[in-house]
Amino acid sequence: MANIISNLNKAFDSRIRLGIMSVLMVNDDADFNTLKELLELTDGNLASHIKALESFEYICSVKQFVGRKPNTRYSITESGRESFQSHLNALEQLIR
Amino acid sequence: MQLKVLLYYMEKQIDDIKAIREMMEKSSKFLSLSGLAGIFAGSMAIAGAAFAYFYLLQNPAATDFNHWQELIILVADALIVLTLSIGFAIYFSWRKARKRNQKLFNKPTLKTIYNLALPLMAGGIFSIVCLVRGQAEIVASVTLIFYGLGLINASKYTFEEIHYLGILQVVLGLLAAIFPCNGLLFWTLGFGLCHIIYGLILYKKYDLK
Repeated sequence: MANIISNLNKAFDSRIRLGIMSVLMVNDDADFNTLKELLELTDGNLASHIKALESFEYICSVKQFVGRKPNTRYSITESGRESFQSHLNALEQLIR
Repeated sequence: MQLKVLLYYMEKQIDDIKAIREMMEKSSKFLSLSGLAGIFAGSMAIAGAAFAYFYLLQNPAATDFNHWQELIILVADALIVLTLSIGFAIYFSWRKARKRNQKLFNKPTLKTIYNLALPLMAGGIFSIVCLVRGQAEIVASVTLIFYGLGLINASKYTFEEIHYLGILQVVLGLLAAIFPCNGLLFWTLGFGLCHIIYGLILYKKYDLK
């Protein structure tokens, strides 16, 4: 039992982080406002979880300008995809 | 004690998986499409086809329109059906999006429309070319095939049932090409009956939730 739980990734131990990773798994990228709307979060709350996931190098960001407005797009990294996939596998094993 | 911990973990994990699946679907698919749109579009199509059949095609001698006038009436009939169907589709989907607390025209919606519109436009232009060249009997087949391909193409971004609706339309379109005398019958089956059936399936499966 303890063994199975230890397969779960601590970085994903939050519904919000799971949400961010889920969106980026199935979309090439998503900008800050799209994530905010989908997850129904405030700016600060979303930003802190994004920062955490970036520090694990699970997601990466590209800053662009749309007209004069800055627009940051987030996408999943290769290691983020692998880690999230093994987290999913661990979740599924646990409930089997 | 250990059992309690285990149960707590299992419940949390099941909720996690549910949340993940929901977020993946919500962020990548056009789920505001309402089954009512299909039911209405199907009814319009049957009404339009019935008008064309009983007013013009059943007994051509009964009216004294020439070939071009007849053609214009048929095209106008089809365009009215198309406009009403699109109008109702937007209205019902807008209502469903509002219910789900989502914007109707978000990225998945636009992707769905774009992927449906490309084959549809090609088919529309092709149909006009056929009409102008005097090959009106192939138009029922052309509209069915291109519409079906559009649905297959767009189904990646919406409910998976749409994929099979698209295949059905293509098959009916091919049958309409093989039996051109029954073009209107296949057209009515495809745009009418299939839309109503799939509309009911979608409505029952997703809208009533």
